[in-house]
Amino acid sequence: MTDLASSGTRRTGGTAASNGRGLTGLLLVSAPVALLGWLIIYPIFNAIARTLVVQTETGTAFSVDTYVRFFSDGYALANLWLTLWVTAVCAALLLAICLPLALYLRFAKSRVAGVLQGLALFPMFVPSVILAYALIRTIGPNGGVDLVLNALGLPKINSPYLTPWGPIIGLVWDNIPLTTLMLVAGLGAVSDNAVEAARDAGARPLALLRHIIFPQIGNAMLVVLSFTVLSIFSAFTLPYVLGPASPEMMGPFMQRTFSQVMDTRMAVTQAVISFLICAVFGAFYVRSIAKNREARR
Amino acid sequence: MTAIDPSTLAADVPVHRTKRPDWLGVALALALGVVVVIPLLVVAIWAFAEVWRYPSLLPQEFGFRFWEATLARPDVWNAMSLSLRLSVTVTLLSALICLPAAYAFARLDFPGRNVLFLSFLTSHAFPKFGLLVAIAGIFLNLGLISTFWGVVLIQLVGTLMMMIWIPVAAFQNVDRAMEEAARDAGAGPIRVFWSVSLPQAAPTIFAAVLLSFVGTFYETEGAWLIGAPEIRTMPVLMITYINNQIVVQYGAVLSVLLWVPSFIALMFTRRLVGSGSFAKGFGV
Repeated sequence: MTDLASSGTRRTGGTAASNGRGLTGLLLVSAPVALLGWLIIYPIFNAIARTLVVQTETGTAFSVDTYVRFFSDGYALANLWLTLWVTAVCAALLLAICLPLALYLRFAKSRVAGVLQGLALFPMFVPSVILAYALIRTIGPNGGVDLVLNALGLPKINSPYLTPWGPIIGLVWDNIPLTTLMLVAGLGAVSDNAVEAARDAGARPLALLRHIIFPQIGNAMLVVLSFTVLSIFSAFTLPYVLGPASPEMMGPFMQRTFSQVMDTRMAVTQAVISFLICAVFGAFYVRSIAKNREARR
Repeated sequence: MTAIDPSTLAADVPVHRTKRPDWLGVALALALGVVVVIPLLVVAIWAFAEVWRYPSLLPQEFGFRFWEATLARPDVWNAMSLSLRLSVTVTLLSALICLPAAYAFARLDFPGRNVLFLSFLTSHAFPKFGLLVAIAGIFLNLGLISTFWGVVLIQLVGTLMMMIWIPVAAFQNVDRAMEEAARDAGAGPIRVFWSVSLPQAAPTIFAAVLLSFVGTFYETEGAWLIGAPEIRTMPVLMITYINNQIVVQYGAVLSVLLWVPSFIALMFTRRLVGSGSFAKGFGV
């Protein structure tokens, strides 16, 4: 997918012909590249500039007042902590759930594996709004789970709806397909021969995991982790519908600051802060894509 | 659902065939099945429940009364037609600008090709909602907030990745020998593209277009942030129903209605999604 270099058209014609081709290529990609520049790259720099430069009577001046306000506001900090905590819990849960699934899917040959793969992919086709609604009806107060427990004569659950566990359950559910797919793709790098050889030499499953499989999928696991953190940190729909109103996660917090408080500069400041916190993961993500491309050349 | 892409699951491994049933697999499938299916099942039951009082395990009365009630609401029809118009516009625009670009990335050589291609993949490297807020700040100055075209633009950006990298793979997998043969037989470049290259890439491209359409139809965050309060798409309407807690069944009926596009997408695209190339697009 990413190994463009191996498939490039060979330059066979003269310089004029290849120049013409180069122009055609650039022309064909110009529209999406322009859109990317205008709506992804430019907004990032614009956001940083907008929050740091203010118009005063004497002209433009450098100011970090919104950042100071954010980091001295107890409520904003509580939101940030909640978001970090939810992200960490989700990432841990996702790895704990999807790694066994991916290992099974990679090495199993039974017919059950097909069913399991279908089930693991299914949440990808359920939009988060419907998921949110379904979870409220299922684990919300007097929901489906309560009905079953009640019929069995057991006490009701402590509903996670409107607590941080609401968005956690929803986000984990929603992210199972991609996490599993990415882990299975990463496990593709583990050679079957190595696994067979170790097995023949009498390695137990745990030893196999520790010495043969984990060392080879370390990078894939870190990519998955970065990707998960990036998508969960600023999730909006599930935290907005299922999560607590106060403290709230960064997604709903930014939305409220923008649409209801109408403080655009503060909302953009919150966005820049979330960029900065995710920068480590983003940088790692980009670096490993670039490294994979190098390796495939 | 049971089709597994052989490239992901490495079917050519020496297999220790035993008659022992695969208990681990069955246990995993059951556990995942309960978690994945039950919430959706509960909603499906609610959609057809006329009376369902706690603590009855099943509704006291089944019926279609709430289907009629939901479908009689003008806001549902407005949202549905708006969502369809948005999705069609976004998908067409996206195909128009992305497919030629994907062909160029896959087959032509031009300066900066690798860097430009990589820049699309890195659009995943920022927290999405933060990015939306930054864009919303710009749109506010341009007067694009709460307009149809503002939402089109934001959703168009969301489809770029999908509509570039899946078609790139499709164009790269076209059989070169057949193109050469057609060229030797005297076909011009456009004819070769139209009769040889495109038909081979078409199924994958169709899947990408379908995924973009469904993804746009369900897109909530951009529509909510940029579109509010004027542009109310289906998912936005759904959130209002959830928040305002009006009749439970309205939300359930809408959910079941909204599943239809999901299932179509699922049927047509599961092979693509299950394949290794889909995951590779995310950088693994």
